[in-house]
Amino acid sequence: MNNPTDIKERVKKNIIWKSIFRRDYRNTVRDRAQAIFGNVFLHLHPVQVREGAVKLRFTWGMGGITFFAFIILVITGVVLMFYYHPSVSQAYSDIKDLEFQVPFGVILRNLHRWGAHFMVIVVMIHMFRVFMTGSYKAPRQFNWGVGVILLVLTFMLSFTGYLTPWDQLGFWAITVGTNMGAATPLLGYQGPFSEFLHITPFNDVRFALLGGSRVADNALLRAYIWHCVAIPLVSVILMFVHFWRVRKDGGISKPHK
Amino acid sequence: MNPFIEIITQPDNIAIVIMVILVSFFTVWAFQQAFQNDKLIAVGQPVDGENEGLVDTFKPLVRIELIIALAVMVFLTFWSIVVDAPLEEIANPTLTPNPAKAPWYFLGLQELLVYFDPWLAGVVLPSLIIVGLMAIPYIDINPKGNGYYSFEERKFAIITFSFGFFILWLLLIVIGVFFRGPGWLWYWPWQEWDHARVVFEPTRDFSTVFGIDSRSLPGFILGAIVVNGYLIGGMIAPYKYLKKKMPEFLKEFGMIRYIVTTSLFITMMSIPIKMVLRLVFLIKYIWITPWFNV
Amino acid sequence: MANENKNNSNYRAYLFVFFSVVLLALTLWIVWDDEFGLRPWKNYQQEFKTLKHAQLEKEYSKAASDFQKSGDAQKLAALKAQLKKAEDLFNSNDVQEKYKKLNAQWVENHEHSVKNTKELQTARGQYLETEYYFTKTQKPEYKKKMDELQKQIDTIASRATVLQKQGDGLKSSLAPYTAGIADLQAEISKLESVLDEKKERIGTSDKVPVEIKQVYIKDIDKADRCQSCHIGIDGSKQISMKQPFTRHPASFVFLKNHDPEKFGCTFCHRGQGRATTSVVKAHGNEKHWDEPMLEGDMTQTSCLNCHGDVKQLRGAEYIAQNTELVRKYGCYSCHKIPGYDGFGDVGPVLTEVGTKVNYSWAINWLLDPKKYFSKARMPKFYFKQDEAEAIADYLFSMSGNTRHDVDYASAKPDEKLVDQGKQLWSQARCNLCHVTNGKGGNNVKVYAPDLSKIGSKVSKEWMFKWIKNPNAYFPGTKMPRFRFTDQEINALVEYIVNEYKDDDAEMKYTTPVEIKAESIRKGKDLILKYGCYGCHKLQGMEEMVQVAPSLLSQGVTFLKGEEMKEKIGAELSSIGSKPVDMLDFGKLKKSIPNDRLSYIKQKLRDPRGYRLGLRMPNFRLTESEINGLASVLYGFTDNNIPSRYMVPSRQQLDKIAGVPSYKFTGDFAKVIGDVKCTNCHSIKGIGADYAPDLTVAGSKLQESWIRKFLANPDVIRPLLQQMPKFGLSAGQTPQKVTMPKFNLGTQKVEDTNRSDVDVIINYFQQELVTTDIPKQIPVITTLSPEEQVAKGKELYDLKGCKACHQVGTEGGALGPNLSNVGNRLNPGFIFKHLENARKFKPDIVEPNYGFSERERIYLTNYLMTLKLNAK
Repeated sequence: MNNPTDIKERVKKNIIWKSIFRRDYRNTVRDRAQAIFGNVFLHLHPVQVREGAVKLRFTWGMGGITFFAFIILVITGVVLMFYYHPSVSQAYSDIKDLEFQVPFGVILRNLHRWGAHFMVIVVMIHMFRVFMTGSYKAPRQFNWGVGVILLVLTFMLSFTGYLTPWDQLGFWAITVGTNMGAATPLLGYQGPFSEFLHITPFNDVRFALLGGSRVADNALLRAYIWHCVAIPLVSVILMFVHFWRVRKDGGISKPHK
Repeated sequence: MNPFIEIITQPDNIAIVIMVILVSFFTVWAFQQAFQNDKLIAVGQPVDGENEGLVDTFKPLVRIELIIALAVMVFLTFWSIVVDAPLEEIANPTLTPNPAKAPWYFLGLQELLVYFDPWLAGVVLPSLIIVGLMAIPYIDINPKGNGYYSFEERKFAIITFSFGFFILWLLLIVIGVFFRGPGWLWYWPWQEWDHARVVFEPTRDFSTVFGIDSRSLPGFILGAIVVNGYLIGGMIAPYKYLKKKMPEFLKEFGMIRYIVTTSLFITMMSIPIKMVLRLVFLIKYIWITPWFNV
Repeated sequence: MANENKNNSNYRAYLFVFFSVVLLALTLWIVWDDEFGLRPWKNYQQEFKTLKHAQLEKEYSKAASDFQKSGDAQKLAALKAQLKKAEDLFNSNDVQEKYKKLNAQWVENHEHSVKNTKELQTARGQYLETEYYFTKTQKPEYKKKMDELQKQIDTIASRATVLQKQGDGLKSSLAPYTAGIADLQAEISKLESVLDEKKERIGTSDKVPVEIKQVYIKDIDKADRCQSCHIGIDGSKQISMKQPFTRHPASFVFLKNHDPEKFGCTFCHRGQGRATTSVVKAHGNEKHWDEPMLEGDMTQTSCLNCHGDVKQLRGAEYIAQNTELVRKYGCYSCHKIPGYDGFGDVGPVLTEVGTKVNYSWAINWLLDPKKYFSKARMPKFYFKQDEAEAIADYLFSMSGNTRHDVDYASAKPDEKLVDQGKQLWSQARCNLCHVTNGKGGNNVKVYAPDLSKIGSKVSKEWMFKWIKNPNAYFPGTKMPRFRFTDQEINALVEYIVNEYKDDDAEMKYTTPVEIKAESIRKGKDLILKYGCYGCHKLQGMEEMVQVAPSLLSQGVTFLKGEEMKEKIGAELSSIGSKPVDMLDFGKLKKSIPNDRLSYIKQKLRDPRGYRLGLRMPNFRLTESEINGLASVLYGFTDNNIPSRYMVPSRQQLDKIAGVPSYKFTGDFAKVIGDVKCTNCHSIKGIGADYAPDLTVAGSKLQESWIRKFLANPDVIRPLLQQMPKFGLSAGQTPQKVTMPKFNLGTQKVEDTNRSDVDVIINYFQQELVTTDIPKQIPVITTLSPEEQVAKGKELYDLKGCKACHQVGTEGGALGPNLSNVGNRLNPGFIFKHLENARKFKPDIVEPNYGFSERERIYLTNYLMTLKLNAK
C-alpha cells in the first residue's frame, strides 16, 4: 500500500482523476495526438509540427513569449483593477497604496510595469525575426498585416497604461502624445487644412482622445477603459486570428511543403 | 555617481538597456544564420531545416514552450523584485517637466519633431510606417528566402528594412532616452543636464540660402520645385534605371507596386535627408506654404 | 520508430528543475518581503508591545508591593476572615432554618403576586375590550359587564397591594441575614479591583492587534499611517524614550489643540503619511516626494498654514520670532509676500540724503554697510567703487550738485552745552532704542540705527531738523518727537556730534566737487536695476515700487501704480510648496541637497551663488537667522486647507466681519503720531509688546497716577519686568527698563488748546476702558472698613502673595511690586483681576486661587491702602 506505484495507480483509478484526464497516457502515437486535441489550450497546435518549430535558433520563441507576457499582464492587470479607481483624486494614492497597503502590491505593479516593457521589446524582436526569415511571404501576407496591427495595439496598450498612475511621467507623456493628435491634417485644430472643416480645440481628434480639451478626469477614464477593456478585447480577437492563420498557413514560419 | 551609470540604471531605462542587449544578440544570431545559409546556397546545398521532417507536438513543442514560459517568468519576477517601478510626483498640469518625454517606444517619433512639423512627424509619418509595414508582403515579390534566414537572396529588402528598423527606430529611441536633455538638446550621458542652457541655433529656410525670402512667392515656388522635384524625381529616376537595366523585373513588378514601393521608399529616405539638411546646413523648412510647412 | 526516442528523451529535464527551483525561491523571496521586508511597522509594534508589557508589569508589581506595604493586604485578609465567619454563621443550622422558612414564604408570596399581576392584566384587557364593544354598540349588557369587571379589577388590585406589603416585609426581614456578607464582599472586591484592573490592563494591551494604524482626514483627503510605527505618540504615558515610541513633546499644546484624529501628522509635519514600507519613505526623503518631514522647531512653519497671527500663539514662539525677521529685513519690499503688505519702507527716505550725510560716508556705506555698523540691516550689493559713486551721485543730485563732506572734528565743543545734552540724552532714554558703542537698543523691534559714529555721518543742521520734528523728514518713522526746546535740541546735537564720532572717518570731499551728469544717469540705471526704491523713498520713484524684472532687460523700463503686478523679486507666496523641479539649483546642483529647504537656505546664505546675473543682495545673515527666515518662507504654501481649519488673525477677522481695523481718533491720534507710544506699548492690538498693554488703561489706572507718571516717568516706579514666557521658550534675561521722558505737558497739541497729557488722559478714560471692569467694588456693610482691610491683609499673608509680590522691602520679584498699588490701580481692576487674571493677560503666571467675592473685596480694600506718599 505504501508503495508509490500503488498510490499512483490508485490515484489514476480515482473517478475524479479519470473525469479530468479521461484516460491513461501511454506514449503511443494516438495518445500523443490525444494529448494535443484533447486539451483546449494545446489544440491550437497541430498534432505534429515541423522540426523547425521546436528549434530555438529558428523561431527564438518570440511570438510565444509575447503571448505569455500578454497573459501575465492580463492576470496582474485584473488584480490591479481591484485596487484602482480611475479618478484624478484617487488614482495617485491608489498606486502609492499598492506599495504601502496592498498585500503583494509592489510585486504586482512591478510585474505589470516591467512585463509591459518586456512585451513591447519582445514583440519588436518577433517582427524582426519574421522579417529575417522572410516569413511574411506567401501565403502569409495577411497574417503579417494582422501582426503589424497587433504591434500597434501593443504600443497603444502600453501608452494608455502610462496615464493610469496619474503621475508627472504619465501625465506629460500623454499630453505630449495627444498633442500630436491636434496636429492631424484636417482633423486636428493645429493641423494643416483644419480651418476648412471648422475644427477647434473642442471638436478635433485630440478632444475625442481626451474627452476634453485637456488631460483631466475624462482623459483618465478614457485611458483606463481603452487600456483595460477595449484594446485588450481587440487584441485578443486579433491574436486568435493571428494564431489560427499561423496554423492554417502551414505551421510555423515556413511555406507549405 | 557617474552620470552614465545613473542614467542607465534609472528604473525605466533598464528596459531600454535590456532592449539594446536583446536586439544586439538576436541581430547577430540572425545574420550569422543568414550568412551560413548563404554559403550553403552558394554551393548548392539545402539550407538549414529545408529537408526537415515532422515531430509530434506532444511533448517536444509543449515542453519547450513550458520551459520558455518558466524562464520568462523567472526573468520577469527577478526583474520585478530587484527593480521597483517608479512613481513620480503627482500630476501637476502647471509644472511641465523639461524634457517632457513620450513613452520610450515613441521617442523615435518625438525625435522626428526636431526635423518635421508635428502633422508630419506625429501623424503622417507614423501612419505611413504602419501602412508601409503592412504593404511589405505585397510589394516584395521575391519568392526566395521564404522560411529561412538568408541575406544574399534578398539584399535590398533586408538592407532597407534594417535601415528603417535599426536606424530610424531603435537608434532614435536610444538617442531620445540617453542623449536628449532639457530643451531636447543633445547631452552626452556623462554630461550634467543644465536647465538654463540655451543653445541658440540660427536656422534658416532652404530658399534663404539662395537669398530668396522663403515666405515670398519666389520662395514658395522654389520650395515647391524642390519638394515636388524630389518626389517626382524620386519616382522617375529608379524607373528609368530599372527600365534600362532590369526591364523584365519591372514588368513583373507592375506599375502599382512600383508606385507604392517608391513612394514609401522616398518618404523613408526623406527622413535622413531632412536630418542632414537640418543638422549640417541648419535648414528648417524647404517649402513654406500658407497651410503647412515642409 | 526513430523519432520516438528523440521525442521522449528527457534531455531538457534539468531545465525544468532549474527554473522551477529558481521560481520557487523567488516566490519565497516575494512572500518574505511582503510579510517582513516591507512591513517594518510589525517589528516596531511588537517591540512597543513588549515595552508596554514590561512597564505595565512593573506597575503591577509595584502596586502589588504597595498593596502589601500599605496594609491593604492585611486588611483584605481580615475582611476575608470576617466574610468566612459571616458565611459560617449564615450557614449554621438554626440560622439556615429560619432563613429558609422566611425565604420559602417570600417565594410563595412572590408566586402569588406574579399570578395576581397576570390576573389583573387579563381583567384589564377584558375591560378594555368590553369598553370598545360598548362604545361601538351602546348595548347595556356591555355596560353591566364593564361594571362587573371594574369591581373585579378593584379586588385584584387591592389584593396586589396586600401582597406587595407582605412581600416587602418579608424581604426586609430576610435582608439582615445576607446584608453583612454582601457588604463584606463589596469591600473585598473594591480592594482587589485595584490590582485586578492593573492585571487586566496587561491583558488588554497584549491583545492589541498588530496592524497598520491609519488616520483618514476627509476634509483634506489625507491618510496618515505614521502611528503604525509612532505607536506611543498620543499615549497617556511615556513608554519609551526610544524612537519611534516616544510621546509627542508638549502634547498639552500641540495634540490637545490639534486632535490627531482630525489633523493627522503630516498636516503639520509633512512627510509621506501613506508610506509604511520604510522609514526613509515615510519621512518623505524620497525622490519624487517633495515634502520631507519637518521636525523640531522647524515644524512650527506649519503654524502659518492656518494661524493668521502667530504672535501670541503658544508653541509657535520660534516661528513668531522669525516672522519678525521678515519685517526686520523688509523682504516684502522686493518680494510679494501674503500678509506682509502695507508695512511701509524699511529704509529711510533718501530724497534729501545729500543734505543729511557726508559723501564719503555714503560711498563706504554703499560698498559695505556692515563696515560702518556691524548690525546694519542694509544688504551688500557688491557694488564696485565707480558704481557706488554713481549711485551716491544720483542721490546727492536730488538735493544739490556737489559731492561734499563736513568734518566737525576740528571745531571746539561748548562744554556746557555738551553736558546739558548728555543729561537730556539720558532722560530721553535714547539708548532704549539706539545702540551706542555696543550698549542699549533694548527695544529691538524698532530697528533704530546705531549712533556710535553718527557725528561723522550726518550734518548738524540736518540732525537739528530731525530731532525737532522727525515726521517732517520721514513720515512714518518710529522716532518720537520729544518736546524739547530749540536750545535743548542744540545741546543734544552738540553732545551727539562730539560724543559719537568716528575718528577714522575719511573725508575726501571737504572741498565740494561738482557731480557729473554722466554719473547721475549711470546711478539712476543702477538704482532701477537693483530696485533701491523697494526699501527707500526716492524722489520721482515713489510709484516705482514694483518692477517686473524680466521686462527691464527687454527695454520696457517700468510700469507704474496699477499696472505693476510683480515686485522686483520672485513672488514668495507659495515658495514653501513650490515643486522642487521648478527651483533652479544652477551651479550648485551637485554640491547641495536638491530639496526645497536647502535651496531656500542657500539662497539666503549666498543670494547670487546659483548662477551669474542674479540681483538679490546679500544680507549677510547669521546661520540662525537663515534657519529662521527659511522656516518662515517654508510656511508660505498654496495648499488648499478647508476654511474651517483656519484661525484668522484679528485683522483678518475684522476684514471678514467688515469691521474697519481699530484706528486712533481725534487729538490722541496726533499725539500718538508724534510720541509713537506704540513703539513699546500695545493698544487695542496695535503696537509692540515691549511695555505694558494699555488697551484698558483707562479702567485700570488712576488718573492722578498717570499724570504724575507721564510728567516724571523715571521716578515714580520702575516699569514691570519683562516676564519670560512660561515654560515654552528660553526666556531672555529680564531687562529693567524705564520709560523715556518726553516732556509731555509742556506743549499744546496743534490746532487745540489742550496739553498733550490732557489729551492722553481724556482718551484713556473715554476709549481705553472696558465694561468688564467696574468703577467701584461692591460694598460690605456688615464689617467696618478697618476690619475688612485687616481681613484682606490676613488673606494676603495666608495665600502667600508675598512669595511673588513685593510690598515695601519684603517679598518676591516675580510679580509686580505692590508698594504703591493703592495710588496706581483702580479698585475695580484689582477686584476683577483677582477673579481671573488671565482675562486680561492670557500668558500671566499668577495662579487662580478661586477667591470668593467677599475675599476679593477684602483683598482689594487692603491693597488700596498700600500707598507711597510721594513728596
